[in-house]
Amino acid sequence: MKTVKELAAHVKTWLPKSEATRTLLLSTAGFSIALLLLPVFFHLDGKAHADWEQFLGRFHPLAVHLPIGFLLLVPVLEYAARTKPALKEASDFVLTLAFAACLGSLLLGYMLAYGAGDAGEGVTRHMWGGIVLTVVTLVCLLARPAWASGAQPFAYPALMVCMLAVLTFTAHQGGSLTHGSNYLTAYMPAPLKRLLPMGPAGAPTASSFYAKHINPILDENCVACHGEGKVKGGLRLDSYAAVMRGGADGPAVVPGDVARSLLLVRITLPPDHKQFMPAEGKPPLKPEEIAWIRAWIQQGASPTATTLAGISIREASPDPPLQPVGDYSALMPDIRQMEQGQGAKLIPVSSKPSDGLILSTVNISANFNDAQLAQFLKFAPYLVEAELGRTAITNASFDTLAKFTHLRALHLEGTAITGEGLAKLAPLTQLTYLNLSGTKVSQASLAPLNSMKNLRHIYLYNTPAQPAFVAETK
Amino acid sequence: MKQHPLCTDCEHEPNVLGLPVPAALKQEWAELQTRRHFLGRAGKVLGWAAMASLLGSRGLTGDAHAADSNAIAAAGDIKVPYFAPKAKRAIYLFMSGGPPQMDLLDYKPGLAALYDKDIPDSVRGAQQLTGMTAGQARFPIAPSHWAFKRYGQSGTWVSDLLPYTARMVDDLTIVKSTNTDAINHEPAIMLMNTGNMNPGKPCLGAWLSYGLGSMNDNLPTFMVLQTKTNPKENNQPVSSRLWSSGFLSSQYAGVGLRSSGDPVLFLSDPDGVDREVRRKMLDAVNEINRQTYAEVGDPETNSRIAQYEMAYRMQTSVPELADLSKEPQSTWDLYGPEAKEPGTFAYNCLLARRMAERGVRFTQIYKRGWDVHGNVTGVLPILCQETDRACYALVTDLKQRGLLDDTLVIWAGEFGRTVYSQGGLSPENYGRDHHPRCYTTWMTGGGVKPGITFGETDDYSYNVVNDPVHVRDFNATVLHCLGIDHNKLSYKFQGLDQKLTGPVPANIVPGLLA
Repeated sequence: MKTVKELAAHVKTWLPKSEATRTLLLSTAGFSIALLLLPVFFHLDGKAHADWEQFLGRFHPLAVHLPIGFLLLVPVLEYAARTKPALKEASDFVLTLAFAACLGSLLLGYMLAYGAGDAGEGVTRHMWGGIVLTVVTLVCLLARPAWASGAQPFAYPALMVCMLAVLTFTAHQGGSLTHGSNYLTAYMPAPLKRLLPMGPAGAPTASSFYAKHINPILDENCVACHGEGKVKGGLRLDSYAAVMRGGADGPAVVPGDVARSLLLVRITLPPDHKQFMPAEGKPPLKPEEIAWIRAWIQQGASPTATTLAGISIREASPDPPLQPVGDYSALMPDIRQMEQGQGAKLIPVSSKPSDGLILSTVNISANFNDAQLAQFLKFAPYLVEAELGRTAITNASFDTLAKFTHLRALHLEGTAITGEGLAKLAPLTQLTYLNLSGTKVSQASLAPLNSMKNLRHIYLYNTPAQPAFVAETK
Repeated sequence: MKQHPLCTDCEHEPNVLGLPVPAALKQEWAELQTRRHFLGRAGKVLGWAAMASLLGSRGLTGDAHAADSNAIAAAGDIKVPYFAPKAKRAIYLFMSGGPPQMDLLDYKPGLAALYDKDIPDSVRGAQQLTGMTAGQARFPIAPSHWAFKRYGQSGTWVSDLLPYTARMVDDLTIVKSTNTDAINHEPAIMLMNTGNMNPGKPCLGAWLSYGLGSMNDNLPTFMVLQTKTNPKENNQPVSSRLWSSGFLSSQYAGVGLRSSGDPVLFLSDPDGVDREVRRKMLDAVNEINRQTYAEVGDPETNSRIAQYEMAYRMQTSVPELADLSKEPQSTWDLYGPEAKEPGTFAYNCLLARRMAERGVRFTQIYKRGWDVHGNVTGVLPILCQETDRACYALVTDLKQRGLLDDTLVIWAGEFGRTVYSQGGLSPENYGRDHHPRCYTTWMTGGGVKPGITFGETDDYSYNVVNDPVHVRDFNATVLHCLGIDHNKLSYKFQGLDQKLTGPVPANIVPGLLA
């Protein structure tokens, strides 16, 4: 008993002396505890509740941007107040508004999740983020007067930093729920992407039809609501095992039985049907995607099969993105003069100078030789294609060609080159097309080309290297 | 007075005052000039001047790139694609007459059970038929006489009539939902080629020559190859209207190679005229033409000069083009022995490959005889035997030589054929009438997505049920593959910005594109 009394006496020493402040502080603590206990009383159990909750809750995505704006505005105002003191009062007002908006958004969001029966790690994280953010905002509001009067210079700024961190976390969780967790990273440049931790390996074999074609469709269209973050209807579609496990309504995929596979049934309902998926006006799946899913289920929904009868999917073209070249417009007089003197032409790829020039020798083919090619060196930064088929150039030209570093396509068909010196093409990192048909190149001389990553189309028709038809080597 | 080219009031009177005639005569002629003459002429001149100033400097001449203020066009009149194209050239295999889609590529397994049943009115609707079948009492369904099998990774159904085409289905972009407005040959074939049923408009090849220009100065930009007719087939006429340049300069028209004898008539120099004499003669003719141009200002005079020069260069380039003696044995193994015989479809396909190698922008091969109103089981195998292997050979040859990456190959007719039989239907034979509502075409090569079938027809191959591709959409898509925006490639004529796709809005079909 004594200890309790001592403790109470000790606590009393912390409390502010003024009665009004004390009430305020206590009610704040009580309110915060009530908010923190919200998930205990209204547990997100994944079951849908009243429709009116959902109706109101659906305004959450709209309302939620208001507190974000207010909260971001507060530190800006505080900072700006150093030169414009009048803003100091404004920031107090905005902070109060922010708290009110936070509270409103939190309640709407809770209604959305509770009413619709959303559950899952992402929803939970977003929910706790929202609650903590509201509480932190409230504490900020309380700490501010002490800071403004100069009594407590550090607590309020520190709380502001906390608030911004929680805000960022919560907003990101919310974004991931609506757009999917890979929304921000999908188009991230590869060097940045490598810095990210690798996601969980979901698919059975990497080369399977499931991994290459089905899983990406589900990822793109379904996993935002049927994944780790949100598990609507008890169904997850983010791994093969989860897909096969099914959801509350029954199995999503029954191998070989398209009629009982609810996954296919739901995506092929009329779009205005209540159970149509993807729900909530998200775009329906493309016809070919539905066809792939149907064929995959029909043919056993295998985790390992790499091809399906009747389905042929071209790999998305891995052609490297076109590198723009510089503007050659200023060189037009030179280009004209070159044509007149040489007979070989420099043809613009398109009306955009950044698309580059094509060196075309078809008018004088047999009379075009190594020396003439060398004269085109000054245009090397603009040349994206060289048509040298059936010209008189020889192996000696590889030294010149090595400097045409912007070439994407190189035609050497029907020339006297023998393949010696093909290694010198290594600086042509953008080369995707190389035609050596009808030359004397041998299989051995092609070895250096293996290191050219972008070179996907090598034509060797009628050569010692490949007398038989070969279209693409890689 | 120098006349504007569009002024139709030809003034052929000589300038009498400048002629070496006695002064007295001149005096008399001058006195005969009346005030009426003066006012008449002055009024017209003022009218033209006013019009020219209203329309701006380019208003009366029409210029495809006039609206483009891009740097290159401004630097000169170089013709270039609007954007980086996937295909630099195209080869168009035109199946004149209307191939029956349900006997070749549009597989309808349900028809067998409907043999000799009447086609439901709900399918046919209120369609106006041709005079050839409109009077028929019945429209009995004629299922295809041939079996179909699935081929390739894509599992595409192909008729037993096309064993070679079947081997390349994974390279093809098959369009089952092509449809047209015309039900008879001439309007339909004009619509397909020129975007308009009436003659007078430039065809696809002429637009391409006009918009993209030449890649090889020694050969025409646009060449037309006709296939020798087979008397067993029902050959509809094709005429030079189909490769005409319409209101564009005549230098953009297709240059036809004959299907027998010399590819181009009178191209060889006559005895006693050597190359140097020919050159001198041409120089003199050109000089006279230039004077005419200076006087009259008709741009067609320049076209004529260009055509004389082209013919001169073709004297050496065409014999080289048509000299097949250096083709390796593998060529003949691929195309078949008919390819050695000038005028066959196989020979023309081989020439088309040689033209593609030599930078001819657009080659169109006409194969007639697909107009199978009767005796389908007798004639269709002949038609397929003539074309199937050659089509496969051309595509394969382009592919192995690395040309298919930037060549677009198109296979199309002007319309399809009816599922109901024209004339008597028996288990052995049937006929098919013209059918504009759906027909099957294919493309392959630069710019299009390989291994797909686009569009769907109903169970009767009668109406398009999914993804229709109208002729103008088809043409817009072809132009897109070659780097041309169909809305931008236009020419001012008769008060309109004339386009290949016509005034009705046309849409590129993204589903066909790679």
